[in-house]
Amino acid sequence: MNLALATLPDLFYSIASKSTYNTHMRRSVLDQRWAGYAVGALSVVALTLLLKIVGSHVNAATVSLALLLNVLFIATRWGSLPALLTSILAMLCFNFFFLPPFGTFTIAATDNWIALLAFLVTAVTAGQLSASARRRAEEAETGRREIERLYAELRDAFERASHAEALRQSEKLKSALLDAVTHDLRTPLTSIKASITTLLDEARDEPPVALDRDSRVEMMEVIDEESDRLNRFINGLIELARIEAGELQLRRRWGAVDEIISTALSRAEPITRNHRVELEVEKELPGVRVDERAVSEVVYTLVDNAAKYSAKGSTIRITARRAGEEMIEMGVADEGPGIPSGLRERVFDKFFRATRDGDVTTHKPTGTGMGLAIAKGIVEAHEGRIWIESGYDGKGTRVLFTLPIGDEDVIDDIHYSEAKVSAQ
Amino acid sequence: MTDRSKILVVDDEPQLTRVLRTGLTSRGYDVRAAADGQAGFEAFNDWHPDLVITDLAMPNVDGLELCRRLRAVSQVPIIVLSAKGEEKTKVEALDLGADDFVTKPFGIDELLARVRASLRRAKTPPVNEATQTSLDSGDFHVDLESREITVRGKPIHLTPKEFDLLVYFIRHSGKVLTHRTLLAALWGGNYVEQNEYLRVFVGNLRKKIEPDAAPRYILTEPWIGYRFEPDPAT
Repeated sequence: MNLALATLPDLFYSIASKSTYNTHMRRSVLDQRWAGYAVGALSVVALTLLLKIVGSHVNAATVSLALLLNVLFIATRWGSLPALLTSILAMLCFNFFFLPPFGTFTIAATDNWIALLAFLVTAVTAGQLSASARRRAEEAETGRREIERLYAELRDAFERASHAEALRQSEKLKSALLDAVTHDLRTPLTSIKASITTLLDEARDEPPVALDRDSRVEMMEVIDEESDRLNRFINGLIELARIEAGELQLRRRWGAVDEIISTALSRAEPITRNHRVELEVEKELPGVRVDERAVSEVVYTLVDNAAKYSAKGSTIRITARRAGEEMIEMGVADEGPGIPSGLRERVFDKFFRATRDGDVTTHKPTGTGMGLAIAKGIVEAHEGRIWIESGYDGKGTRVLFTLPIGDEDVIDDIHYSEAKVSAQ
Repeated sequence: MTDRSKILVVDDEPQLTRVLRTGLTSRGYDVRAAADGQAGFEAFNDWHPDLVITDLAMPNVDGLELCRRLRAVSQVPIIVLSAKGEEKTKVEALDLGADDFVTKPFGIDELLARVRASLRRAKTPPVNEATQTSLDSGDFHVDLESREITVRGKPIHLTPKEFDLLVYFIRHSGKVLTHRTLLAALWGGNYVEQNEYLRVFVGNLRKKIEPDAAPRYILTEPWIGYRFEPDPAT
């Protein structure tokens, strides 16, 4: 059965090729010039016979027109020389069979001479004209096919080149991403492995280890913190993959901007403990129809970055204000080293870190390189915009984002609305 | 053991420097940490450690640059911490003068073993190679004048090039030697790309000195070079 199925297409193919072959053969035989002479001669004979059979009903004008049509047909199909032969034969037949005295090549009446001559001239001229029209059409067709062929070749070559280039770029990107991911997974793993092997040596009583209680606690703290870091990194990867796949499910509902900010700030409290946090929220801000959890995550990420990349004791300023009729603008500013304007777009690329990959000089710990990419995904899913400016007085970094206020007619008391969005 | 050797750890990952500081201190070493190459170099000039452990990828002055700067002023042993996939940078660091490397993630015992080996090597008093007449290292005894070598007490016959290669290995016991370093030392600067020379000679040397098919003395460091271990029992 399988065999039969497998051979069926082959069979079709073979039949198709044979039929193409036959058509091709037929065409190539008919295309020969001698075929034109033969058909020309035979058609004149056949037409003469036919006209002779119905002879009593046709006059000389009808005969000449019928023969003329035949010449035109031969000229269009086979060109000028077969048409010339057909014209001469047609003239002879016309004279012999249809001009009195019948059965001879002599012509009695003068006007019949004129008719014969007119027939010959018309036949030859029309034949030559239609043959040359055919030739020109053929030449135009050949030219068109050649242009089409060149165009197709050019397009194929171009497609091949751009495909190869895209592949190269994508391979390069993949390898850069892989490097970034493995680095971020391996770094905490290295601290964990070094801690655990130190503790193991001590537990196995392998001299000479002298770990006091504080050192043991420190090792375990490192293991704890680095496990959390690995977990954060993996969560970030999942979140990012979800955003990139367009699977971010927004649960939009009406919420207050100050509540969103305070949720983020209370979560960020352990990391902002050594900073001064200032809040500037415009009075009587309208509510926003957003996914509160997601927007709070954006604010948290920005505050976390601000704390991470600025000195202890410096100020982190969080602002929220109305921007026009339909938008709210929120911002987080720090007094850190700032981000050069050339890198302000790139920091939103995943795994890009200004401190490690750019030229910002700092000894501060680096993040996962995913926070801003995720924040951008969330903001854009809300049809907002996120960007970076210099901080206050030109110092530090200020990350700003906008969110649309939302349609006030929508009421969410009954159920959550869900939107499937594509963030990238 | 109360070896108060001073070790400088240079890494931009605060968690790792915390662990190494505690782990090494608990073994009796005196440890200081620096967060990048620049700070590391300053700490070196300030403190004169006996050994430097450095990461390769760091902001500002990276591990390679630190190796370069340290080698310009000192012969202090350097161990680089590197990740799989950083072979090119690792080779570069070794060519610049690093003595050894440990691949992340590593167990503390592996690092400690490398630390001990590097410190031991550094503490061996320097000899004047020109006036030296014999070499003793682990299972190997070399008479440099008669050019005779015994391994585990048994004499072996080597070609002149094999002899030179083995003497070079013995003189740099425990140290990771890149293909490039070996080729430059034995064949000269024009041959540093001819890895196949080295493969052939190391192969022949192994046949003559190794007791088993699996090498004990001349160990391969994949993609990097070789490490000579004169006394595998320890």
